[in-house]
Amino acid sequence: MSHALDLSASIQASSWRRRFLQPLMRQRSAVVGLVIILAYVLAALFAPWLATHDPTAQDLGAALQGPSAAHWLGTDSFGQDLYSRLLYGAQLALIIGFASVALGLVVGVAIGLAAGLIGGRTEWVLMRIVDGLLAFPELILAMAFMAVLGLGTENLVYALALSFVGPFARMTRGDVLQVKSQPFIEAARLMGVPTLAIIWRHVLPNVVSPILVQAGMRVSIAILLESGLSFLGIGVVPPTPDWGLMIAEGRGFITIAPWISGVPGVALAILLVALNLLGDGLRDAFDPNTQKDA
Amino acid sequence: MQETIFSLLDVERVYTLGATGWFHRETRQLKALDGVRLELKRGDTLALVGESGSGKSTLIRLMLGLEPASDGRVLYGQHDLAHLDAEARKRFAREVAFIYQNARGSMNPRMRIADILAEPIRLHRLCEEQAIPARVEALIARVGLPAGLLQRFPGELSGGQVRRIAIARALAAEPTVIMADESVAGLDVSVQAQVLNLLRDLCRESGITLVFITHDLGVASYLCEKIAVLYLGRIVEQGPTHDILSAPRHPYTKALLQAFPRFDAPLCASLKGEIPSPVNLPKGCRFAGRCAQVQPACLEVDPPLTLLTPERQVACLFPVVNPC
Ligand SMILES: Nc1ncnc2c1ncn2[C@@H]1O[C@H](COP(=O)(O)OP(=O)(O)O)[C@@H](O)[C@H]1O
Ligand code: SF4
Ligand SMILES: [Mg+2]
Repeated sequence: MSHALDLSASIQASSWRRRFLQPLMRQRSAVVGLVIILAYVLAALFAPWLATHDPTAQDLGAALQGPSAAHWLGTDSFGQDLYSRLLYGAQLALIIGFASVALGLVVGVAIGLAAGLIGGRTEWVLMRIVDGLLAFPELILAMAFMAVLGLGTENLVYALALSFVGPFARMTRGDVLQVKSQPFIEAARLMGVPTLAIIWRHVLPNVVSPILVQAGMRVSIAILLESGLSFLGIGVVPPTPDWGLMIAEGRGFITIAPWISGVPGVALAILLVALNLLGDGLRDAFDPNTQKDA
Repeated sequence: MQETIFSLLDVERVYTLGATGWFHRETRQLKALDGVRLELKRGDTLALVGESGSGKSTLIRLMLGLEPASDGRVLYGQHDLAHLDAEARKRFAREVAFIYQNARGSMNPRMRIADILAEPIRLHRLCEEQAIPARVEALIARVGLPAGLLQRFPGELSGGQVRRIAIARALAAEPTVIMADESVAGLDVSVQAQVLNLLRDLCRESGITLVFITHDLGVASYLCEKIAVLYLGRIVEQGPTHDILSAPRHPYTKALLQAFPRFDAPLCASLKGEIPSPVNLPKGCRFAGRCAQVQPACLEVDPPLTLLTPERQVACLFPVVNPC
């Protein structure tokens, strides 16, 4: 008996590998993206141990220094250590990116599921709300909400999440409607499967993968928007170690101390490229709707 | 006296077409089924034959309650299918199984075969949870497939394998009636023979009532004891397979048989022309445009399905007397 269990467990594991890992690993650029992102995640996780200074400790005597043994990547105009700020900045970027996408996903998917599954008047009302949200570009919507909510990290997460609700809701509803019209849903109903079980067992598993692929792509948008808003001064508040803020602060010294903007700028660019590589890879591997012709 | 399971009383199914734009408001009526009379008794094996578009799938979907009748009544036992209470609906779901024409599409692509087969068993609580794996293995063995396929997904199986899984799933709920839509069309001859043998053994061993759609008279005669011939939404001839094949009474059946070569019958002229559109059917007999023995009265009167002998029914004003 236990032998049989082992066997079926190993079959399941190998088929997980076959269904998930192998298609992804076949996408070369996705693997590169994944490795870079893992490096950022590690840097963010171990920032307290890797950092050489307090990221917000000012030392005006050591302002605008180039890279040195004391300050590996130099200092900014307040004498804050750029290397330490870079590490904590990675932490902040990833947290805001993933948190806002997760929140937007939960709310958007809930709306999309309700609209697609219930239909009728409920669907009409929900989709008009979604249309309203989608009428504005993400950046404008997030800016408007920052203006209403006020500055701060938490508010930034809410504003970004809100700007993602529309896209997730619309996509989920579309996928639910598409799956609902498949013969296997009718077959389940004919067999007498209760409605909730049909949703749980037959509808949901068939809409998750495109949603997750979409979520992966949204993380890079979230980080870009987050840095952009902070750069414009309507995101997180100084002296929080944030890449957008750091780039903004370095603007005035771009000729005499280009590393102040350059270091966070390069870090941001590499992360965004990596996230996009992984996102494209996920899409090509798992989303049949947008699969490229190989 | 066998118990009647299904009765169809002058069933009609109309689809409304058209309304293609803001200014095109006129609609057209497509009569997919028109005046269908049918009685199915327990233990019957009935083949629904007819050309593509004759309404076979629509008829079976009405009998399954998947679509409402526009007119007439579909009775399951004594009860109207359109007004089943929750209890009766549940019993219907358990007793009547359907094998889809699109077998692959009728399975959740994200479920393993083992779970697909276990679903009806679990749903109707046919056995203890621990006994389910053994039962699933018995099912897959019954349709002649290796148990190794149980951990696969439908997308990883071949067309013939998927059809057999669909049959196994239909059997899982231990139904008394099985309906199958073109379950062997497009299969290799050898696979087709396996599937047909499987279904035939099932009917013989378990006394299952079978409604089998096919456009192949050979398949119909191999598998079923009765045949109903559909033409443009009406059953035009119905009766025991042997009688119909040896002495067709409706000119359409006769033409079908001529188009279907047999070694013991001369090949006469087969059907001329295409099957007309079921939109805006002309007055009179629906087969008049292609009938070899059409007469003036045929253009005026639409013949309903009427008893010819206690076993045979035909919808023709001038049934064939001496078959060719
Ligand atoms: N949902 C529908 N809407 C409109 N017309 C339909 C629909 N389903 C079937 N039809 C029409 O009804 C007729 C009978 O179709 P069907 O029952 O699928 O025939 P068969 O299974 O014998 O090939 C066809 O003319 C088809 O175009
Ligand atoms: S009623 Fe007339 S036209 Fe119709 S099948 Fe009979 S003979 Fe032919
Ligand atoms: Mg059909």
